[in-house]
Amino acid sequence: MRGGWLRIYALSYLVFLYAPIALLPIFAFNDGTVIAFPLRGFTLQWFSELTQIPALHTAVANSLMIAVITALVSTLLGICAARAAARYDFPGKRGIMGFIMLPLVLPEIIVAVSLLVVLLQIGIRLSAVTVILGHVLICTPFCIAILNSSFQNLDKSLEEAAFDLGETRLSTFRLITLPLVMPGIISSLLIAFTISLDEFIIAFFLTGNEPTLPVYLWGQLRFPQKIPVVMALGTLLVALSVLLLTLAEYFRRRGIARTGGKDTGGFL
Amino acid sequence: MTRPIITLRDVQKYYGDYHALRGITAEIGEGEFFSLLGPSGCGKTTLLRTIAGFEDITSGAVLLDGQPMEGVPANRRPTNMVFQSYAIFPHLSVAENVGFGLRRRTDLDRRAKQTLVEEALTMVGLGGYGARAAHALSGGQRQRVALARALILKPKVLLLDEPLSALDKKLREQMQFELRRLQRQVGITFVLVTHDQEEALIMSDRVAVMFEGQIAQLDSPQNLYRRPLNRQVADFIGVMNFLPATVSVEDGQGINADVAGLGRAVIDPEQAPGGATSGAACVGIRPEMMSILYENEQTDRRIAEGVVEERAYYGDMTYYDVRLDGIEKPVTISMKNIVGRPVLDRGTATRVSWDARSLVLFNAA
Repeated sequence: MRGGWLRIYALSYLVFLYAPIALLPIFAFNDGTVIAFPLRGFTLQWFSELTQIPALHTAVANSLMIAVITALVSTLLGICAARAAARYDFPGKRGIMGFIMLPLVLPEIIVAVSLLVVLLQIGIRLSAVTVILGHVLICTPFCIAILNSSFQNLDKSLEEAAFDLGETRLSTFRLITLPLVMPGIISSLLIAFTISLDEFIIAFFLTGNEPTLPVYLWGQLRFPQKIPVVMALGTLLVALSVLLLTLAEYFRRRGIARTGGKDTGGFL
Repeated sequence: MTRPIITLRDVQKYYGDYHALRGITAEIGEGEFFSLLGPSGCGKTTLLRTIAGFEDITSGAVLLDGQPMEGVPANRRPTNMVFQSYAIFPHLSVAENVGFGLRRRTDLDRRAKQTLVEEALTMVGLGGYGARAAHALSGGQRQRVALARALILKPKVLLLDEPLSALDKKLREQMQFELRRLQRQVGITFVLVTHDQEEALIMSDRVAVMFEGQIAQLDSPQNLYRRPLNRQVADFIGVMNFLPATVSVEDGQGINADVAGLGRAVIDPEQAPGGATSGAACVGIRPEMMSILYENEQTDRRIAEGVVEERAYYGDMTYYDVRLDGIEKPVTISMKNIVGRPVLDRGTATRVSWDARSLVLFNAA
């Protein structure tokens, strides 16, 4: 077998990465409070218990609200940045773009701690708003990365042609630009939503007394009897994340096919 | 020229410090097929885009049909453009693309618009293609859709930005012919930007040759080829041999020239379009204006002697580089390959015939 050892190495690498995630659904359906083999039996009890915890529901609502606003704001910022990067040349463009993309490689703990220090110094009370601020900071680079390929693939003369044929700048944007970059926008919204929804470090540092879902979950891990419920919740979150990311990639690819461009490979 | 539909008055355009258009003055007539020809970076596309309204001019004036266009954006000018990339909207069907410019026409109902779209498609040879997806078209078909989309609005001027450069040779030649036919059929003024001198000569009523933001010569294809104003134009349009010469201009006697390699000749003032002054000058002659004489072939034309230095066989033609007695640089001569004209080997001594009427005189520079 060609590349035999390499293949084995790659497989064990994947198992090591994903095996813990596979444990989530296994114990979520296990009829027992102890997270250990052998398995006891099948139950849906932990899922039904999920529906009876008000604090959890608040956390979910909180997370959803933060994720939706983060997705909208960072995608809007991403559209502006990606369009500017694709259309215009201005002094220091590379430097500015690099600076915007920096949070992509910056350790989150550093972002979180420095944001906390700054916010406390200027006297802003910690709340959902501060979490949104932090999330927008780390989501925007992802949005730009996705939207960049949409705008780069968009031939400038398409907009000029529509304008030349009698449309206004606004109707050109609505009739030509928007439909052609829409798949990228949807994909960007979904990615930002997903990142914000399961982000922990920044939310942990910047949330006030209304925790997001990941922060709430972390708090519950102190009580052993609650762990199967957490497993059930984790299972739902994994399923939701996979679904959203798949959708996002689908829209990104469709956008490229639509404008007739070449797939230069997103980061998925 | 017919009534002017485009008037350019000392059009200047700067991009920062870069002087892209250096005072363009020209008139383009109604129903004319006009070409802007030049190497890349000469400003021809910039000029086209200033006519379309995509670029502001720094100073000067652009008039369309007598109306000053200052401050009038592209969507309110009576011009339409065919883009180099065709700019076919990929998310719309062929019919939606062609009918795009009719969206704002409230005087037409849906049926009337459909009829117009079908007529436009038939005109460019794509009848029945309306329902197809635009991204599934071939290069030549995109080109036709772009044409139909621009012509359906019956603009006063159709602007074409290197529309044939993306097509392969066969298709390009076919489209050159069709564009010309289409232009005669609709009678609209076409302004074509191209870097291909052959294309400009084949298609245009008149051609403006541009170098470095200026029009070097604006003339009919025949005049451009036969009487180029200067060496730069002569060199860009076709091939021309340049020979050093000494000139003496005498009133009423025409221009007497002593041409290196050819000998003395009297040049008609008409063949010195750039003017003539006594002293050192340069004489041009096209490769097809000289002939190699075979064996005992006789001629009443002038004769020069030389040796074949290099040859290139093209099938229908053979190009010879012949070193004429008395000059270093060989001249290029083209010969049609007809029966009785074998292809000559390198080193063959040969006689070359030429005619003083085919010489063009340039100033020394």
